[in-house]
Amino acid sequence: MSVPIYIVDDDESVCRALKTLLMTYDFEVTTFNSAQNFFDTVAHDDPGCLLLDIHMPGLDGWEVQKRILASGSNRAVIFISAEKKDDATNRALQAGAVGFLQKPVNGQTLVDLINGVKN
Amino acid sequence: MKKKTILSQKNKAKDLSLKKKTQNNLAETVRLQTDELKIREGQLRQGADREKLGADREKLAEEQIHIRTKAMESTADGIFIIDAKKSDFPIIYANSSFFSLTGYSRSEVIGKSYFLLYGFNANLRIVEEIKQTLRLGKSFHGEMLRFKKNGEKYWCLLRIAPVRNVKGVITHYVGIKTDTTLMKQRDAEIQEQREELLHVTRVGKLAEFVSSLAHEISQPLTAILSYAQAGQRLLKDREPQLKEILQYIINDDQRAAEVIRRLRSLLKKNKPTFETLDINALTNDTATLIMPHITAKNKVIKLELGENLPMIQGDRIQLQQVLLNLISNSLEAMEDEKDSSDLLIRTSLKNADTIMVEVKDSGCGIPEENKPKLFSHFFTSKPDGLGMGLSISRSIVEAHGGHLEAENNPDRGATFYFTIPVHGNINQ
Repeated sequence: MSVPIYIVDDDESVCRALKTLLMTYDFEVTTFNSAQNFFDTVAHDDPGCLLLDIHMPGLDGWEVQKRILASGSNRAVIFISAEKKDDATNRALQAGAVGFLQKPVNGQTLVDLINGVKN
Repeated sequence: MKKKTILSQKNKAKDLSLKKKTQNNLAETVRLQTDELKIREGQLRQGADREKLGADREKLAEEQIHIRTKAMESTADGIFIIDAKKSDFPIIYANSSFFSLTGYSRSEVIGKSYFLLYGFNANLRIVEEIKQTLRLGKSFHGEMLRFKKNGEKYWCLLRIAPVRNVKGVITHYVGIKTDTTLMKQRDAEIQEQREELLHVTRVGKLAEFVSSLAHEISQPLTAILSYAQAGQRLLKDREPQLKEILQYIINDDQRAAEVIRRLRSLLKKNKPTFETLDINALTNDTATLIMPHITAKNKVIKLELGENLPMIQGDRIQLQQVLLNLISNSLEAMEDEKDSSDLLIRTSLKNADTIMVEVKDSGCGIPEENKPKLFSHFFTSKPDGLGMGLSISRSIVEAHGGHLEAENNPDRGATFYFTIPVHGNINQ
């Protein structure tokens, strides 16, 4: 049984494409185009892995990660962003994320990372 | 004795009349004499007055000459007078600053031709030009590189004007020379700083532009890659040709992504170099840099610098860039407001740990609908703007541990303000 996947990205096309891709791996995927939508819909103790964009209007990725940690949730967060890899990877891991992937994301790499979380 | 008395008595009547007559004459004479005396005295008094007046005038003239000479000796400018009646331009007077400025002593100057002082290194064209100007009875005004007696170079601002007598004939030339070396140096330094700042701003804008562009483009590239990979997976072992086409899409998507990555690493933003800074000095320097621009636009910049502000840690160039950006935004906001000219920059201690810098204008203010997008990339309200200035400024301020915000003023215009933590209080 695969872990539910949540995608938060303000770009609708990115949400839809990643969802399409992950569904071919039989994941159950829900997308949100703002962090606020995600928090309003998903309780912090609901199971699932979060794929999180960094640059978003309103709450950005870093803020979302902070808030998740503050809520006591142990949700796995994978940052997916166009940000420069070297800078962002360290910052993401320091912030408590499981990983950082630079856009455009290779499907298999992403799935491997998600499956790594599950185990 | 008696006889005499009788005689006198006898003559008394005659005497009396005579006496009366004489008395009358006498009175007349006295009157006339008195009048004459009065006139004489008047004349005398006038003469004395005139003499006194002359003496006063002389004293006044002496005083004036004294004051003028003193003034000429007190000024840091070199002042000299040339005798115009002689063809070789001899100097007949020079003040003490002239000697210290040129390095020549009094005996080397007085009576000698002014142009001898130019020495062998002088630009002969300029010397000829000055002579020519003076011969035509015109004033000379110019700045040139000159040499002191010891060969030391200095920049000299020179003005020479003819002095004419009542008939209009030129009798002398009076010259003033000012050492502008320090001014020139300061100007050059300001120019250099301005260019450095412009360069950094340009590079910063380009880097930020590329970074934003990279972000915008990587979104559709992400979608394309994901769709293509999803398509491949859905096809499994069917439609090998279609799968191949999808693979080409994937390859080209990744190629495009690689181009963007390389472009971005090429325009890596310079790492900020942090040093201990005095925010007031930085504000002053920045105001100096933009002063010509402000004056040209007929605006006035006011500085209200807080006293005894603690030092901050920051990158001087980057923070100047932020200030400059805010100032030029304010100037543009005031462009079309004819009656607004005041631009205020205020530094203050917001609290024990934070310094605040405000740039307050009296311009058109920020329209309500622009407020949410103000600091976003590519957002601009200017016809030729890139929409980078404020977003770069905000990222610089945030890299310094501060915040950049904007508010409309209650009366008119807007205030942009940023905070910078006091040195030793940066949140790690």
